[in-house]
Amino acid sequence: MQQHEIQRYLERFFAANQCEILRNEDGLLQTKLTVDLDKRLMNRPFYWHYIEKTGGIPETMTLTFKTKKNDKEPGEFIHVGSPRLHQIFQTAKKMASFLRLYEQIENKNTEYVPLVPWLVLNMKISYICDLKKDVLHSFALQLITGQMCTNAIERLKTVKLSPKLPDFTFPLTPLIQPKSGLRRIKNYIYDMLEKENDDWAEQAIERWNKDLALLERFYENKEKNEAYYNEKEALRRQYEPKIKIEIINGGIVYLGKHFSFA
Amino acid sequence: MVAIEFDETWEEKFLERYANDGPWDNWEIAQLALESEQELAIPDFDGLQAPKHLPHLHILPHQLKTAQQVVENMHGKAILADEVGLGKTIEAGLILKEYMIRGLVKKALILVPASLVIQWVNELNEKFYIPAVAQKKAYMWTQYDVIVSSLDTAKRKPHSDIIFSQNWDFIIIDEAHKLKNRKTKNYAFVQQLKKRFCLLLTATPIQNKLEEIFNLVSLLKPGYLGNIDEFHQEFNSKKRKPEDDAKLKTLIQNVMIRNRRQETDLDWPTRHVKNIFIPFSKAEKQIYEKISKAKKNNLLSEHPLSLLTLQREICSSREALFFTLKKMIEQEKTSEQTKQFAAELIHDLQSIKEHAKAKKLVELIKEINSKVLVFTEYRATQLYLQWYLKQHGITSVPFQGGFRRSKKDWMTQLFKNHAQVLIATEAGGEGINLQFCQHVVNYDLPWNPMRIEQRIGRIHRIGQEKDVHIYNFTIENTIEEHILKLLYEKIQLFETTIGKLDEILAKLELTNLEDYVQNIFHESESDGEIKIKLDNLTELINFQLRLQKEEEKHAAT
Repeated sequence: MQQHEIQRYLERFFAANQCEILRNEDGLLQTKLTVDLDKRLMNRPFYWHYIEKTGGIPETMTLTFKTKKNDKEPGEFIHVGSPRLHQIFQTAKKMASFLRLYEQIENKNTEYVPLVPWLVLNMKISYICDLKKDVLHSFALQLITGQMCTNAIERLKTVKLSPKLPDFTFPLTPLIQPKSGLRRIKNYIYDMLEKENDDWAEQAIERWNKDLALLERFYENKEKNEAYYNEKEALRRQYEPKIKIEIINGGIVYLGKHFSFA
Repeated sequence: MVAIEFDETWEEKFLERYANDGPWDNWEIAQLALESEQELAIPDFDGLQAPKHLPHLHILPHQLKTAQQVVENMHGKAILADEVGLGKTIEAGLILKEYMIRGLVKKALILVPASLVIQWVNELNEKFYIPAVAQKKAYMWTQYDVIVSSLDTAKRKPHSDIIFSQNWDFIIIDEAHKLKNRKTKNYAFVQQLKKRFCLLLTATPIQNKLEEIFNLVSLLKPGYLGNIDEFHQEFNSKKRKPEDDAKLKTLIQNVMIRNRRQETDLDWPTRHVKNIFIPFSKAEKQIYEKISKAKKNNLLSEHPLSLLTLQREICSSREALFFTLKKMIEQEKTSEQTKQFAAELIHDLQSIKEHAKAKKLVELIKEINSKVLVFTEYRATQLYLQWYLKQHGITSVPFQGGFRRSKKDWMTQLFKNHAQVLIATEAGGEGINLQFCQHVVNYDLPWNPMRIEQRIGRIHRIGQEKDVHIYNFTIENTIEEHILKLLYEKIQLFETTIGKLDEILAKLELTNLEDYVQNIFHESESDGEIKIKLDNLTELINFQLRLQKEEEKHAAT
């Protein structure tokens, strides 16, 4: 993220949380927090406990972020590494895991049209050994026909989605239950991973075996004590390859019947 | 097939919400979450993410290279052995940060000398945004993820038991030369730790014996240099060949990174070295000669090295000599004859008004007219100089190895803001940076050349923008002059070669240079003999230096 992208990100984050944006200038953003965000970001449980106990009127904090170096204005300089930005990233992730959205199709007829349910999963696949790599994936599964699509999120970003069902539309009931939909996507991923090149894992195992052999040699003719077993376990934790899959967010999205992910 | 862990928590909660028809979250925030996940995702196994997260940190090329090498080629286990002042802490912080960003490290244990705990905590927090805390209570070992403690605390119960019971993702041990002996408690403690990734930091990976490097490496990677018997047979025997040395060097390079001043691309400030020869006053000279005579007459035979010590002390200050003499008289084993001799010397000391060196020091400080760092070997000299400088209207603060960290910081601040001179005894240096000062006076010279480098390293380090001036005080026609002219000057100690000296000494199996040199002085019958023996020593060191240079040239082409 470039500095101007960070500023844009913050602006959208606070706006989406109904925080008033007091200043939004080149390299500077000032916002007054809502009670909810104050509690999430400012880490002052005693203050909130006190306000709630005494029934006082809360005064939420105002934050000023600087995305350009500027000694004249007070405020937090924010960049890709700053703890504040990471806290906001974490907060965004925690706040928005489960979605139900409807495509806002404009239906000029008074005839009701159906919206088709899709199960959408945005996930992170991490390849872990002594090194690590992440790949983000976005899958969509049509819950009527079972059609499967990848890169779903890129396409979804281009249509208008809202939690409200638009006028003169009705959602179709899924033929495939979300639970089995999830299973289908999972199977798809397992298949995909099996076909993938796993040189990285083999190389990690090779490194692991090499160090194991050294360890064995070190303890050759010696009693295998606690240090030996600790070290052996530490080597496993250092090198053992594994793949971790985490769903970042997802849910059911109802789309017009002509919508296509292709 | 690689094991796959699928996080099921989302699924459970989602199905619950689906069944309950909500509540549902905000689409815009969900998109923001995906954008930040994209930002945080590690695009490749190789390369470093940390620098991008630390835009304010000025990372030097050799530090970046080191971090990358540790992560990519050493798989997170390494000895960082840069010369003093090249920023090992920065390298270690960078590597820890990298692993934390990659999500490979959550729990980290950082073991450092007690005096450096706070400095590490501050640097990790301020420079690296790593939320490290100083360990204070036993519960903290489990409650906090990144914890800094002294090795001495950690190895004691109940702490040690709690530490052993945990799986550490990352362990850093600063000043790791304290682990060179595998028969110590420190060693056994570290050996038992469960460490996924581990960094050992030391500026002096080999101080005395080649075996020390074996011990350090075996903590990191047991078996890497074989077991101890194999190691001795292959590398440490008298029969070893030059090829074996080369082989060992290559092996060690895979687990140890040692950056040197000359090899870094930095523009190091120049060192200007000035040897200042000072004549004794008449009274001092008489005392020195009296001690020399006693040596020839085999006086003080119950204290074999004492006469040498007495000679060195009178070259420093009246007070330094006085304290030793007083101690000698108080000791029971001292013979009557010696006690009498000591009493006589104490009497003679009264005729000294001011020490010749001290007088010269005042002159020099006034001439420099800026901050000066003065090193002496003796606590008594330190006290004397403080008093003496004050008599001449020069402000000074003392500094000792034994000071607590907070006091060290305080004295450093006083020196920076209020005093012209800092008078330090040995060991005063660990972790103290005095880049704002450009003048070092070696008021007396230690007999261990490695300590000289540590002294100069206090100011000749990263962050020093100006040239550095080194003044060596030497009393004419004494052992001081011998040491300086016959040993230090010949191996060009003050200029450039020092960084390589530790390795060379280990190779030559000069296990303790200080003792070795002392013995030369003690056992030689005449100055001529001393000169021949020291010549032999310098020849040997220089020969090894030349050999090394050629080897490097060879390797470079």
